[in-house]
Amino acid sequence: MTGTTHALLAALTVVAVVMILRLVRLQVLKAKYTILWLTVGLVLAIAAAVPNLLDWAADLLGIWYQPTLFLLLAIGFLLLLAMHFSYELSRVEKRVRVLAEELALLRRDLDDEQG
Amino acid sequence: MRTAAIIPAFNEAESLPAVLAELALTVPDHDVIVVDDGSTDATAEVARAAGATCLSLPFNLGIGGAMRLGFRHAFESGVDRAYQFDADGQHDPSQIAHLLAALDHADMVVGSRFTDSGDYRVGRSRALAMGLLRWMVRLMSGQRFTDTSSGFRAFRRPVLEAFATDYPVEYMDSVEALIVALRRGFTVVEVPVTMRERTGGVPSNRNLRLAYHFVRVLILLVAGTGRRRSPSSLRSAAQ
Repeated sequence: MTGTTHALLAALTVVAVVMILRLVRLQVLKAKYTILWLTVGLVLAIAAAVPNLLDWAADLLGIWYQPTLFLLLAIGFLLLLAMHFSYELSRVEKRVRVLAEELALLRRDLDDEQG
Repeated sequence: MRTAAIIPAFNEAESLPAVLAELALTVPDHDVIVVDDGSTDATAEVARAAGATCLSLPFNLGIGGAMRLGFRHAFESGVDRAYQFDADGQHDPSQIAHLLAALDHADMVVGSRFTDSGDYRVGRSRALAMGLLRWMVRLMSGQRFTDTSSGFRAFRRPVLEAFATDYPVEYMDSVEALIVALRRGFTVVEVPVTMRERTGGVPSNRNLRLAYHFVRVLILLVAGTGRRRSPSSLRSAAQ
C-alpha cells in the first residue's frame, strides 16, 4: 500500500473512531449497535496502525491489488449490515402496525365507556 | 344472526354520509363499522354522527391494515358474518343480499364485477394485470375466479377470526386474502354483482404503484411461503 493510501486510511479511521465514540458517549445508540460500531472502529484502527497487515493478508489471499481487499471487506460488511437493518425494519414495522390497531381498539373502548 | 358492514375509509368524509344513509335504509339491522384509516378530514366525525361504530387508526395503514382491524373488531364483538363495503359509493347496497345469500354455502363470498350481470370497465393495463392474477390464482387453487381483486366480499365468523390476525396488510389485499383463505381450507365462492362509478375520493391506482404491487403479489404467489406466518402474539391479546 502506498503512503497516500495509508494516510487516507488513517484519516478515515480517526474520523470514524471519533464519531463512534461521540455517539457512544451521547448514548444515542443501542448497546448492540455500540458494540458493532466499536468493533468496526477497532478493525479500522488496527488496519491503520499496522500498515503492512492488509498487504500481507492480500498477498496471502492472492489479491494482486491490495486495497481491493479493504474494499471487498467493506462492501461485504455493509451488505450484511443492510440486510440486518431490513430485517429489523420489517419487524419494527409489524410492531408499529399492531400498536396502531391496539390504540384504535383502546380508543373504541374509551368511547364506549364515556358514551 | 348478527351481521356487520366493515367500511375502510381514508378521507371519505364527502361520500361517506350518503353511503351510510343508504346502508341504514337498505340494511337497518346490520352493525356498521367504519375504520377511519388515519384520515385528515372529518371522516370519523361523519361516521359517528351517522351512528356507526368508528375505529380510528392513528395514521394511515392502507386498506389491508384497516380491514384487519375491522375483522378483529367484528370478531371480538361477536359478529356472525360481515362484509366489506366501500366508503366511496362504488358498492351497491342492493347487492348485499346476494353476497349474504351465497354465504349460506360458503365461508367467504367474493362479489365479481366481471360475470354476466356486471358491466364494469377497466383500462387495458389493469385488465391485463387482473387477467394474469386470475390465471395465477387458478393455477394455485384449481378454482376459477373472474374477479380476484374485488373488495366487495362477505365472510363468515371463522374467516373473521382468521383474518383478525392474519390478513395481508399491503395494497392488493384482496388477491392475497383469497389465497390465504383458500390455503386455510375455507370454501370461497364468487357471485356476480353490479357496481357503480365511485362518487368521491381519488382512485387508489397509480400505474407505477399498481405495477409494483402486481410484481409483489406475483412473487408471493410463486414463493408460496408468504402467508405461512405463525399466529402472532396478538391472538392471546384478542381473547
